Amino acid sequence: MIWQLLAGNLTHGLLLGAVYGVATMGLSLIFGVLRVINVGHGPFIMVGAFVTLTIVTALGMTPLVAIPAALVMGLALGFVFFYTVMRRLIKAPEFTSLLATFAMGILLEEIIRLIYGPDFWGYTWDVGRITLPMTVIPMSKVYAFIASIMVAVFLYFWFSKTRTGTAMRTVVEDSEGARVCGVNVGWIHALSFAIGIGLTVMSGVFLTMFIPVGINPYMGGGYTLKAFVIAVLGGLGSPYGAFFAGVIFGLIENGAYVLFAQIPGVAPFSLTVSLAFWMLFALLLFKPTGLLGGK
Amino acid sequence: MRFFYSSLLDFWEESEIKISKYYPLIPVYAAYLVLFLVGFTVPGMWQLMALLAFYCALGQSWNIFMGMTGYVDFGYVTFIALGTYGMALGITIFYQSGLGIGIIFIGLFLALFLSTLSALLEAGIALRLRGAYFAIACIAINEGLRHLIEGTRVWGGSEGMIFWQELVEAFGRETTIQLTTFWVDLAVLIIAAIAALITIIFMRGKIGYALTAVREDEDAAKVMGINTMKYKTIAFVVSGWLGASVGALAWGLKLTHVFPPDVFVIHYTVECIVVVLLGGAGTLLGPVVGGLIYGLSKYWLAVILPGFQLLIFAPIVIIIIVAFPEGIIGLLKRKAKGTRFEKYIM
Repeated sequence: MIWQLLAGNLTHGLLLGAVYGVATMGLSLIFGVLRVINVGHGPFIMVGAFVTLTIVTALGMTPLVAIPAALVMGLALGFVFFYTVMRRLIKAPEFTSLLATFAMGILLEEIIRLIYGPDFWGYTWDVGRITLPMTVIPMSKVYAFIASIMVAVFLYFWFSKTRTGTAMRTVVEDSEGARVCGVNVGWIHALSFAIGIGLTVMSGVFLTMFIPVGINPYMGGGYTLKAFVIAVLGGLGSPYGAFFAGVIFGLIENGAYVLFAQIPGVAPFSLTVSLAFWMLFALLLFKPTGLLGGK
Repeated sequence: MRFFYSSLLDFWEESEIKISKYYPLIPVYAAYLVLFLVGFTVPGMWQLMALLAFYCALGQSWNIFMGMTGYVDFGYVTFIALGTYGMALGITIFYQSGLGIGIIFIGLFLALFLSTLSALLEAGIALRLRGAYFAIACIAINEGLRHLIEGTRVWGGSEGMIFWQELVEAFGRETTIQLTTFWVDLAVLIIAAIAALITIIFMRGKIGYALTAVREDEDAAKVMGINTMKYKTIAFVVSGWLGASVGALAWGLKLTHVFPPDVFVIHYTVECIVVVLLGGAGTLLGPVVGGLIYGLSKYWLAVILPGFQLLIFAPIVIIIIVAFPEGIIGLLKRKAKGTRFEKYIM
């Protein structure tokens, strides 16, 4: 019985993990290029969720339409925030950028709350389900999984094959050297920030397929913290690392929940969240470059 | 006689130099005195003064570590929360022991003890990391502790602890009301004063120079033979003690309950940062000025536009960071350079 439960949960974990991966790639990309931690990461995911909600409930379209819409919205937000705020903070002391990104997050949360109110929202998108021996999976989750993998593969080729992608990697390696070689570092910073935010907002669309009634202006906070754990797990600043770490995190999270639920007298959900942070702590202590990182 | 006179003059000059090191305390203590007097004499103002004292104390406690070292402790609220838990445990365990007011001191002691433990754990692991990694590690400890308490259901788990009844049983209703509405706030003001004193002692002493060296260039400081880890840990633990005391008094004893989702909230850390940043990081007067401005504007916004404080604060914070990151006191310090006010501003 427990094995069936575990296998079922791990399957869901795998699907959710890929989405976590995409949700964290933006954070890692922004850290890699700008050396800035986006502490307001979660609220951008929340914006994606609300874009989906609006498109599905107000306009009556499928959530698939929301994917490009959220991406465009995220790119726009990214460019606006970069040129108004972040551009001036790249060389500034660390805490200024931490505080600025946190304030951005709060601003987004409050604007969304002003429009939609503080309630929980949700929508249904029923496109059938798959029955596996251990569990039943809604097709919407499978679509989110496939879309996440497509995004990751696309980004892989973008970084390795295109000129702009290579320029971004150069800036990650050595910003001064890139400047000397004629890379427009300012533009790469802007583009990376916008793409990072765009990916994050887009991942909010995928995430709504896993939380049927959990769309709320303040839902982002938990995802910020999860994204930190995943980003460090994959090696901060490495977007592909973040993707695989997301999958690993999804598996661990869902597996551990089943195991903790077997212990009597505890709250398994909180323990699972707690485990993630102690894991992060141990990782920072022993292998701060990430599980998949180099030396 | 002449010899005696000249040696007296020497002594006077020497002590003058020694005392002048502490001149920047004058404006700080003057501000606290005004706070106290206004709150004490004007009816209905005491709670507002208590709020301002809370932000000043918190800003100064946070500034002791971050302002001098440049490390951003994004999980500072851990100390405040553990302080609150310390007070809650002290009261709920010992309220029938007949120790009278002593249980509050036991609570304070437990608060300091818990914060020391967590500060040493954090220092041992997180302080070896720098920059972004340090900030993330601090958040991890904060969230990890919160969910550990909720998950294992120790100390009341996610339901938290409520100890108003216990307080009433120990002291009687009248004393409890007086304690939670007056003495606690006074104690917070005293902690703010102590924090200011510690800040200036640190700044004017060896540890201040060591920490400044760490902020400017940690590797160079190490090469010069400074035991950076030791000084960082001292500042971290002291900063944690002050935070825990503020938590034990202003949250624990004042609100008489502790509830994990409320005390481990990252927003309070951000409030500390905003207070310090408004006034100027790494200055003595900065957190006081920042605390007064932040507290007053938050109170005022809550009155005229309830529910919209954050919507208004977020863009203001962004503008401040972009426009003048050195803070009000940082700006003032530059303006006062060379004038006779220079020695009062730090």
